Amino acid sequence: MSIVLKQERAKQLPFGGIFAAVLGLTVIAWLFLNQSLGQVLLEWLPYLAKGFTMNVLISILAIAIGTLIGIVLGVMELAPFAVVRAPALVYVQIFRNAPHLVLIFAATYIFPFELVIFGNYVPFPDWVKAVVGLAIPASAHIAEITRGAIQSIPTAQWDAAQGLGFSRSQSLRWIILPQCIKRSLPPWMNLYASITMGTALASLVGVHELLHSANDASTAVQRTDFTVVVYLTVLIAFFLFCYPVSRFTQYLERRLASR
Amino acid sequence: MLDGFTTHFIDLMKTVGLNFEFLTSGYEVRMWLDGMVTTLVLVVITIPISLIFGVLFAAALTSGKKWLAVPVRAYVELTRNTPTLVQLMCGFLVLNMLISNALGGAQNNPLTPFFWVVAITGLHVAAFHAEALRGGIEAVPSTTIEAARAIGFNSLQILRYVELPLAVRSALPSIINNLVNLVKLTTVGSAIAVGEITYASIMIWTQRDNVVELMLVILLFFSLINLVVARIGFWLEKRLAVPGFGQ
Repeated sequence: MSIVLKQERAKQLPFGGIFAAVLGLTVIAWLFLNQSLGQVLLEWLPYLAKGFTMNVLISILAIAIGTLIGIVLGVMELAPFAVVRAPALVYVQIFRNAPHLVLIFAATYIFPFELVIFGNYVPFPDWVKAVVGLAIPASAHIAEITRGAIQSIPTAQWDAAQGLGFSRSQSLRWIILPQCIKRSLPPWMNLYASITMGTALASLVGVHELLHSANDASTAVQRTDFTVVVYLTVLIAFFLFCYPVSRFTQYLERRLASR
Repeated sequence: MLDGFTTHFIDLMKTVGLNFEFLTSGYEVRMWLDGMVTTLVLVVITIPISLIFGVLFAAALTSGKKWLAVPVRAYVELTRNTPTLVQLMCGFLVLNMLISNALGGAQNNPLTPFFWVVAITGLHVAAFHAEALRGGIEAVPSTTIEAARAIGFNSLQILRYVELPLAVRSALPSIINNLVNLVKLTTVGSAIAVGEITYASIMIWTQRDNVVELMLVILLFFSLINLVVARIGFWLEKRLAVPGFGQ
């Protein structure tokens, strides 16, 4: 299996980058030839950019919350007591198999639009619900990544560390965890890319993110060529954000594999 | 008999605080069951499509012919790094509009939202299959290929009889994983009014406000489909295992 993966990695050429450049240049050339179209797009670009910041914000919050909960769940999955293990296993099983879209819908419709915290009404906007909806599957995936990473460290290392005079917490801090982090970084980044792509689903529950903005723009302008360009822009925006992440992941995988 | 069972079930669920009243409404139940069937049909149609195109893409990627490999590689990178929903919108809103215009009006356009969901999700997952298969094809030892060439196989025959059988075996775990994702991806159909289970459930819960109940059913439904997909995959893996090959 490791041979398979190594060869696969060695063959990765930056075709995607070339493709994005070609696509981007085509759009720019088109806008140059059709200047009225370029002008309209330029007018809408700030609005689209504002939408995209929402995507980035949702993805960062979702992965942050998902990571915190996921690590706890991952450790719970390895607990020696079935009482601790069982709920974590069930949670991970259910939410890893659940479609992101369904969880976003669930979060949107189940939570109230405002929360009462110590008698104060705190608004609970849709985009925060989308964060929750994406943090749930993220936490389930991270639980599996964490479990895999901890299990991949041979238990003999604990004994060896003890033999060298490390206490249990010292060996966790200096020997086990650094290796876990290194091993789980590539899958964690893959997950981040997939969560970022999941943020587009928030448009379906009315969050003003990029796809929603593009929809607004295309309905407002009502031009066939503008509709084509605006959706292509959305596609390119996501690509430019996710492609470097996936390239960097591949680079990390390659570096870690050669060790 | 069935009615008795339904009322009994509704009462039972009420005791645990779940409202399944909609089961008494024939219209909503029919829509809901249709949704389940549509999801199953989507899954059953899209899985073979994704597999066929996955093999074609993998063959193109490993063909060594630039004019084949470069466009496919570009497509694979694009589809892996953009949201499926955005692709669906690009297909259903943009391409569909252009096709309608070319055919002189939407009434002449034979492509339905159902077609677009199948095409976009199928081709999206095909890209992931292709990557998995390509890894397997490239891992076939060059001596094996040379031996096949020596006994007179041409490159298509080598692909069909030597590379693919080995690649499928090593790629099967990732392929199953991709298929599980494919099952989950079919829910994007609800965005363009394909009446699958999510869409049907939205229709029902906007009327009755029983989100939790329907959500539980959806989660169970998808867990069940994915369990079946994973089981079949596991069975195939065992079935196809060649002693001495792989891990």
